[in-house]
Formats: sequence, structure tokens, C-alpha cells
Amino acid sequence: MKRSPFNRNHRLLLCLGPGGVGKTTTASALGLRAALEGKAVDVMTIDPAPRLLDALHLDAGSAQAQEVALEDLAVSGAGRMRALKLDPKHTFDSVINRYAPTRAMADAILDNRLYRSISGALAGVGDYMAMEKLLELYDNPQTALIVLDTPPAREALDFLGAPERMLDLLNSRATALLGGGLRLSDMAARAVLSAFDRVTGLHLLSEVHSFVRSFEGMYQGFAERAARARSILTGPECLVLVITTAEELRIEETAAFIGSLGRAGIAIDGLVVNRMAPAMPNRSGLAKIKPPALRDKMRRNWRDFAALKQRETAALRVLREMIPAGAAILAAPDLGREPHSLHDLAEIAASIDNTGWRR
Amino acid sequence: MRLAESRATIVADLDQRGSAARLLGVGTAQETPVEAAERLQVHSLSARRELERFIQRIVPVRMISNRMLGSRTFAYVTAALPGLDAFLLLSRLSAMAGEAARDDRYVVVDGLSTGASLELLSVAAGVRRLAGAGTLSRLATELEGFISDPNRFGVAIVAAPQELALKEALEAASTLREQLNINRIIAILNGVAAPLFTPAEAEQAMAADLNHAALVKRRLELDAAATRIRRELEAAGLRVIDLPMLFSASVGKSELARLSRSMRDKVAA
Repeated sequence: MKRSPFNRNHRLLLCLGPGGVGKTTTASALGLRAALEGKAVDVMTIDPAPRLLDALHLDAGSAQAQEVALEDLAVSGAGRMRALKLDPKHTFDSVINRYAPTRAMADAILDNRLYRSISGALAGVGDYMAMEKLLELYDNPQTALIVLDTPPAREALDFLGAPERMLDLLNSRATALLGGGLRLSDMAARAVLSAFDRVTGLHLLSEVHSFVRSFEGMYQGFAERAARARSILTGPECLVLVITTAEELRIEETAAFIGSLGRAGIAIDGLVVNRMAPAMPNRSGLAKIKPPALRDKMRRNWRDFAALKQRETAALRVLREMIPAGAAILAAPDLGREPHSLHDLAEIAASIDNTGWRR
Repeated sequence: MRLAESRATIVADLDQRGSAARLLGVGTAQETPVEAAERLQVHSLSARRELERFIQRIVPVRMISNRMLGSRTFAYVTAALPGLDAFLLLSRLSAMAGEAARDDRYVVVDGLSTGASLELLSVAAGVRRLAGAGTLSRLATELEGFISDPNRFGVAIVAAPQELALKEALEAASTLREQLNINRIIAILNGVAAPLFTPAEAEQAMAADLNHAALVKRRLELDAAATRIRRELEAAGLRVIDLPMLFSASVGKSELARLSRSMRDKVAA
């Protein structure tokens, strides 16, 4: 096992990055590595696609944390690993049931038409609820490390901004703005919203007013938890890794993403370059191959993979230039096959290594 | 590029990173259509911009609509209804498809990730349930009709020849068919390496040079994976179009042209 990227202070590992780079596989492998080092690990995905559970061969339909069978790997001193996929509606319902001051208030919210619509399939709610689930996992003293596999880059930024949006939506001023006590500057907006309601037929203003009012008595708790989530995400216990591959387009996305993270106050600790191709063998060894037809095919094969390696090397040079000062670059190997089993994930986990590159 | 060989085509790029625009060599994505090649334009769209356009349409006085968009009250409302902007984006795509049909053009949408795209396509039903009656309800019903009409709308699920991508593709196809009533679906298998060695040659090659054996094995595995994934996609009733793996040191417009040429006998323009 190579040197571990974790230290004992890390309680949260945030895996971010563009789509299609193997973020889920890498997050799972990193979680597995920590578990094999003896930690009790929870790996959670907030990606709506069931990739994490698929990768670990667990029930993709379940919203409950599921135990990964580490005993199959026969590693002594292993901790435990659980994986779960966020179910926004289930989590939102749990939050309401747990924090509503009375049963009647919880029922009022759960029955609200707007709540029923937004707590299900509509985009964005998952971000709010991921924060709640994260805190729930974080408060479990049995869990030493939480690995968070986020959705692709743009949506991940939405996720990181969720605490602020939650505060914005549910702070006490919302009630004043929507219910009464309007400041002059908001009156025009409210008048236009009323017109908007009439045109669209949504009756949003009254719905939102009723929705926000039904949260009375819960604002303080939401605000405290959102502020706490923000503090955890930006605190020293959180290890932030951006996962990418050494491909030209991904690197542009990664550069833009790292810039956005910096503007959002999130500093990255490292970059994991996934699917790194192995070193190329020397081409001269092919000269002795016979018959010539086979030699030609092997030469073509070498040229094809050499072109891919060349592309990767050029991209890596760009990556080294763009990472923030102090951040490390780790490399995860391309196994040459898709990881199908826990053993494959363990192989990747054991191979993830610090390249020694750092700015 | 393939479709633009015969008809004007517009690529609607929903990805704000503008990958399509960059690959097509027109730099960063633009809010107005930009010419990328003969008969081919790229147009960047975003949900937020569609929300702004919608507000400006129903509140034509720019000063008031800007005030509204900038107000905290409005931010609360849109935050409480996070699907509204996505809904308006879907409406815009529908309008573009209508204009394209009238002018005998194609619209190709470079969508978001699978999960985000399914959310986008689900938003019409969500808004219809929420809106009850009124303009949005009517629009939502029209949009559901649009995405389920095989003459106006279809989905190409793009997958790499990998198991996880396959599972995601099959689940997406099932959701599209069963929950969204979308039945014009094809699969595009991207990154298919052309077979190079026969089994006998591969065995001979791996025995002849151990240093190169790993590369030969890699080639065989790429080929085997593509064959297996294609078979599974076809078994799920999907027509599969292969795109070749680009063994090249860079990927740009000329490589896109190669991919386009590879589709000549598979995609009728």
C-alpha cells in the first residue's frame, strides 16, 4: 500500500470534478482505502445516477446505508465501509419529522402542495438535503470518515452553495418579505410577482408564503445546521479532492472548476488524475517480431497507444501548471479493464499514489 | 457535422463550459448562434437566461423586470421552485424544434449528464402537477406532448463501452420509455477500438514480446468490452451506432470531422 492521502484529522473527503472522469470509482476506491487502513467509512453519493452502488454491487434502489463486504478482501485490520445514495424526498421528510416543533406542524408541511412538488423530483432539492444527510453522518461517532461523491462539476457548485441558499430561503426575513412588513424596495417586486401569479396560474406567492410560514419555529435550526455544514466544508477536517483525467477537454473544465471553487471559498487539497495509462514499452523491441504482418500490427498497436500517452502527457503538463499552490497531484491507474469487483476497486485503491508533484 | 452535410443544423449547447463550441473551433459558447461550419451553428443556452427572458417577456418594461429579477423576494420564489428555470429551458428547446421543423433544419442538443438530463425532461410533468391551471399548466402539457412525439423529439444516449456506463444507459432508456413516454431512443457507443488482432495473432504476439503483451491485451479488452456492451444495448431494443476510438495525440475539429465521416453510412442526413 502506497502512502495514504489521509491523515487522522480528516473526517470528510469531498470528491469533486467534471462528469465522465470516473469520480464515483475514485471516491469508492478512496473510501475503500481508508476502510482497509482501519477506518469506519461512509461513502455517500448525491449523484442521481446509481453509479456508486452499482460499482460496489449493492442495491441501487435502496436509500439506506449498505455495508460493503470487506471480508471478501481478507485484509487484516480493516475497518468497515458503508455506501448510500441520497434520496432527497426521504431525507427532507425525515428532517421535517425530526425538527418540526409539533406533529401538527410537521403534517402541515408534509401536506403542503408546494412541499410535495419540490421535495420529490424537481431539480435542486437534492443539494439542500445532501447537507442534512451529511450532518447526520457527521454526527455519528461510529463514523471516522465520510466520503462524498458529488454530481458533475456544475451541479457540484450548486451543492456547495446549498447552505447559503437554505439560509436565504428560510431565514426569518423571508416571512416578512412574503407576508407583510415589506420594505419599499421589495414592494415593486411583490406587485410584479402578483401579476406573474395571475399570468402563470401558479399562485406562487401565496403558496410560498404558506410554505415559508409553515417552517416557523424551524428557521433557527435550519440556519444553524446550514452554517455548520458550511463550516465543516471549509474547515480543516475536510479534505477536498478534484478528480479529473488527463484529457484536454477535461482539463479546461477542471481549470474552470478549480477557479469557481476558489471564488466560492473552497480551497482544494489535491487533484486525483484518474485512468493514468501505464508507461509505454520501448518500440525497438518490436523489430525482431515475425512474421512481418504481425510485426506491422504490433507497431500499429504501439503507435495507437503512444498517441494516447502523448495526449495524456501534454495534458498533465497543463495540470501541473494550474493547480493551486500547496495542492498535491495524485495518480490513479487505468487497470486496462473496467473495475468490476471489490478486488478491482481495492487494486485501484492500493495504487493511488502521490506523484510528488506539488506547486 | 454529419447532419449539417445536407441540412442547416444548430447545436444547442446546454453545458455552460461550452465544450461543443470549443471542439467546433468557435471559442467560448455564445448566447447568440455562432457559425461553426457551413450550415452548422452553435448556440449556448442556460436555464437562468431562460428565466430572465421569460420574466422580461411577461414584464416588458425592462426597468421593472430587471428590478424583479434582482429582488430578494423573487430569489426566494425561484429558490422555492427550483424546477421553474429548467422548465423554461425545455420550453425554449421545444420552440427551437418548432422553428427548425418549419425551416427544414435540425436541432442537436448537447445535454447535461444523464441524471441532470432526466431531471430536465421530467420537469414538464412536475410543473403540470404544481401549476393546476393557467399558462404554465398549458405549456407543461404541450411540452409533455413534444418530448413524447417521435416525429419531433428523440434521445441519443451516449455511452462509453464500460459496464457502469451500460447500466446507466439501460436505466436511462427505461426511465425515458416508462416514465416520460419517450420512445425514439438510440444508443451511441463512443470510443470503439477497431479490432486489430485475431485470437491466434494475439496469442502469438503476447508470447513473442512480453513487454508489448500488455498493450496487445489492452487492445483485446477494448474490443471485447465494445462487443459485449453493444450486444446488451441491442438486447434492450436500442439501435446502436458505433463511434471509433480516436487514437490521436489531440482532439479537435479535424478529429470531429473523422467521427462525422464514420457515421456516413449510419446516420441519414
